[in-house]
Amino acid sequence: MPGDHRRIRGPEESQPPQLYATGEGEAPAPRDPARLRPVYARAGLLSQAKGSAYLEAGGTKVLCAVSGPRPAEGGERGGGPAGAGGEAPAALRGRLLCDFRRAPFSGRRRRAPPGGGEERELALALQEALEPAVRLGRYPRAQLEVSALLLEDGGSALAAALTAAALALADAGVEMYDLVVGCGLSRALAPAPTWLLDPTLLEEERAAAGLTVALMPVLNQVAGLLGSGEGGPTESWAEAVRLGLEGCQRLYPVLQQCLVRAARRRGAAAPL
Amino acid sequence: MASVALSEAEKVYIVHGVQEDLRVDGRGCEDYRCVEVETDVVSNTSGSARVKLGHTDILVGVKAEMGTPKLEKPNEGYLEFFVDCSASATPEFEGRGGDDLGTEIANTLYRIFNNKSSVDLESLCISPREHCWALYVDVLLLECGGNLFDAISIAVKAALFNTRIPRVRVLEDEEGSKDIELSDDPYDCIQLSVENVPCIVTLCKIGCRHVVDATLQEEACSLASLLVSVTSKGVATCMRKVGKGSLDPESIFEMLETGKRVGKVLHSSLQSILHKEESLGPKRQKVGFLG
Repeated sequence: MPGDHRRIRGPEESQPPQLYATGEGEAPAPRDPARLRPVYARAGLLSQAKGSAYLEAGGTKVLCAVSGPRPAEGGERGGGPAGAGGEAPAALRGRLLCDFRRAPFSGRRRRAPPGGGEERELALALQEALEPAVRLGRYPRAQLEVSALLLEDGGSALAAALTAAALALADAGVEMYDLVVGCGLSRALAPAPTWLLDPTLLEEERAAAGLTVALMPVLNQVAGLLGSGEGGPTESWAEAVRLGLEGCQRLYPVLQQCLVRAARRRGAAAPL
Repeated sequence: MASVALSEAEKVYIVHGVQEDLRVDGRGCEDYRCVEVETDVVSNTSGSARVKLGHTDILVGVKAEMGTPKLEKPNEGYLEFFVDCSASATPEFEGRGGDDLGTEIANTLYRIFNNKSSVDLESLCISPREHCWALYVDVLLLECGGNLFDAISIAVKAALFNTRIPRVRVLEDEEGSKDIELSDDPYDCIQLSVENVPCIVTLCKIGCRHVVDATLQEEACSLASLLVSVTSKGVATCMRKVGKGSLDPESIFEMLETGKRVGKVLHSSLQSILHKEESLGPKRQKVGFLG
C-alpha cells in the first residue's frame, strides 16, 4: 500500500520485553545430578507419514516424521568398491536426509522459520548419529527423509529429537541395527562444577558447557556426540560421557514399550 | 570432503599398518605431518596466516571492523567466521558443492570459540552497548589433502596472534555526542592474547587404533572420527563425533586422552614458532603462498 502515513509504524526490529528486565531471575532448584525427567513417547500418530513419533520430556516436545524410501535425487557422486556382506557398493548406498526445525514459538525469543546455521548444524548432528544405526546398504539409490520439529524447547532438545527420530524410523519399518537413544547433559558451575543429566531450559542457559550423547543400547556403541563450552579437563568430559551413556541405557525400556504399543495398535487397526 | 577411491587391498594395507603403529609415510599414530606456518601474508587484513600441512593449504584473513555489540552481551565484541571451500581445492567443490562443508566447518569454529575463556571479548569492547570491534575471520581452503579441521584451527590461531587492532578513543562532547578518534601512530595497536585459543585435534578410528592427522587415504579407511578442541592447558572446549560409523565408549575415552596429549605438544610448538617468527621482525624472509 503506497504511503500509508496514518498508521503508526513500529520499529523495524522487535525484541521481547524480558531482554530489558533487570535482575537475575530465579536460580534453578538443586537436584540429583543423575535424575531423568519422566518421558512420554508415542509412535505411529501421523497418518501422512510412513513413520512418526512424538516425544515429551519435561517441557521439551518433539515431533518427528519419516518418509521414504524414495528414489534419490541428484546423480551419484564418487565411485567406490563394493561394501562387505553383499550390501550395495558405497556409491549406490541409500542416503539419509535429516531436517531439524524449531517452531517459531519454541524458545524465549521468536525465531523466524529459516533458522540459519544452528538448525543446519543440528540436522547434521542428527544425520551423523542416525547413520550408524540404519542399514542404508539395503536401500540402494534411495533416500529416507527424517524431519524433526521442535514444538517447545525445555532443555536437551537435540537429545529428544534424536530419540524421536530413531523411534520414527523404527515405526516406519526401516531396517536398523539398533535404536538410537539420546541424552543431554550440562555443566553447572555453581555451587560446584558438576555435570547434570537431562537439564531443563533454565539449567542449560546458565550452564558453562553442554553435551549431547547418542547411544545404541544393545550394541553399546556411541552413535553421536556433540558438546561444547568450558567443560574443564578431558577427564571431566569423559565422566560426562559415562553419565550420559548410563542415562541412555535407563531410557531404553520406555522406548521399547512405546514401540510394542504402537505395533499392537497398528495390528488392531488393520482391516480384516 | 574430497574423496579418494581406494581398493580393498590398499585399505587392508593401511589398516594392518596402523595396527603396528606404522603408517604409509612412516609416521607413528600420534605424529603430525610437517607443518609450515607463515603469518602476515596478506597486507589488506588486520592479521593473516597461511598453513600448509602436507597437501592441505589454508589461508586465513582477519579483518577488524567496528560494529554494535549484541543485545545479550553489551560489554563484549564478537567474532564471525566464514569458510570458503574454493573450487581449486578439489573438483567436488565446484559451484555450490563446497557450501555444505564450509558451513559445517564454520559452525564447528563457532562452537569452539563459544566460551568465555578462549578469546577475551571484553577487550574488544569500545563503549558498552554502542561500539565494539567485530573480528571477521575468513578462512580460504586452497588445497584439500586431509585433516582440514586441524589445519584450519592452527591457521585461525596464528592469524589471531598476528591480528593488530588499531587503538581508538571515544571522545564525548558537552552535548553528549560521541566521536571516535583513531590514534595517529599506525603501530599503536591492541594485540589479542591467544594463550587460551584452542586447537582442534581430529582422531580417526582405523581398525582398533586411532590416528592423528590422517591423510585423505587414511580418512577413506576410517568410519568414525572424534574431533576434540583442546587449549594449551589441556582444557577441552568442544567434542564432536564425525563420520558414518559408531564408536565404542572405551575408545572415546582413549581418544580423549590422546587428544589432550597431542594437543599440548601441538600448542607448545606452535607458540614457540609464532614467537620466533615475530621476533625476526621486518627483516624476515617472506615465502608467500606460492613457495
